[in-house]
Amino acid sequence: MPTHADRKEPEAALRVRALESLLAEKGLIDPKAMDAMVDLYENRIGPRNGARVVAKAWVDPAYRQRLLDDATAAIRELGFSGLQGEDMVVVENTDSVHNMIVCTLCSCYPWPTLGLPPVWYKSAPYRARVVADPRGVLHEFGVDVPDDKEVRVWDTTAELRYLVLPQRPAGTEHMDEAQLAALVTRDSMIGTGVVRTNGAPA
Amino acid sequence: MLLTAEIVPGLVAQGASARAHVDVPPKFKVGDKVRARNLNPTSHTRLPGYVRGREGVIEFDYGVFEFPDTHARVFEGVPEKPQHCYRVRFTAREVWGPTAHPVDTLRVDLFDDYLDPA
Amino acid sequence: MNGIHDLGGMHGLGRIDPETDEPVFHAEWETRAFAMFAATYVFAGYTVDELRHDIEQMGPAEYLESSYYEHWVHAFERVLARRGIVTREEIDARVAQLAQGAH
Repeated sequence: MPTHADRKEPEAALRVRALESLLAEKGLIDPKAMDAMVDLYENRIGPRNGARVVAKAWVDPAYRQRLLDDATAAIRELGFSGLQGEDMVVVENTDSVHNMIVCTLCSCYPWPTLGLPPVWYKSAPYRARVVADPRGVLHEFGVDVPDDKEVRVWDTTAELRYLVLPQRPAGTEHMDEAQLAALVTRDSMIGTGVVRTNGAPA
Repeated sequence: MLLTAEIVPGLVAQGASARAHVDVPPKFKVGDKVRARNLNPTSHTRLPGYVRGREGVIEFDYGVFEFPDTHARVFEGVPEKPQHCYRVRFTAREVWGPTAHPVDTLRVDLFDDYLDPA
Repeated sequence: MNGIHDLGGMHGLGRIDPETDEPVFHAEWETRAFAMFAATYVFAGYTVDELRHDIEQMGPAEYLESSYYEHWVHAFERVLARRGIVTREEIDARVAQLAQGAH
């Protein structure tokens, strides 16, 4: 498998440039619109959006309930909606359940709240292993789930998109919503991580 | 339609939901035991191999969505077949056998045409 | 189809390799491949499922050894060619021109 260490420019790099120039000549695409797409996902849409959703759910019980009842609408309240998050489901981690998200068939992922997926999420090893050996995968990510706690793996096989609502860590009672949001990691919203307070052992 | 920079933010925020706004009755209800069909089409399907033949339980009915198997073939002229999409619960042991962890489970989103009553 | 994409439960595919502080894109060409989705979706009249099926039909070895955005480019070429919007020959010719221009 190629890794990030040995990535080099593939044939597809040239082919997509060829495609872009041909389509632009035909007047079918506007490269400036493509720049605008890239700008949105490099600078505006990413896991900080999801972290805001999580932090709000932690401090606002009514919001948490709306999020669990109708995630699409509750997430839209914060201004996040649309492409690859049209129909959202939020799944809550509890003392008895740890949730994890995958797309074994391709790489479906909740773009409005998490942005574009990391390479490992799209990789064959993660997609192959997490459904059959979720605890082994979690261990590699530094998370060990007790034997009596259910690991629940959600395979994104249709057009629903999933976001994990991680557990709020102990010792954060004094923190406000913005401080809490800063603790929330991308991986904790995929389910390969948990939220820890700064300085806590991994 | 030409995608321009001006319409990008609105289109992204709108997206393109695969929800089909047609009235199609569901074949199953929450709590029903189902078995994923052993289907092996050479065309597109979103029924993963690892659940075929396995028994699960309908946990939630998400409503009517475009059916991926026909939605992939619109350009070939294959008629659309919108139908209910369900969240189906499988135990890890049902799917992976006795070496799987006894308390772990999976959720897979499956369509009416992928399921039989169990 | 029972293709290489249906990965759930497969063994021996190597380790999961998370990258610390991973950028959204790893190369400029990936940004073009990403944006090509929205730019073509609005006029070419394909469904995401059709695009997925073109990815599923990649050769298994090629599928495993290439990246997400390489999969996308593979599929864009095919959905556009199927509609006669851009042919493979046009792309090949333009690739040859671009490759010459780069040296």
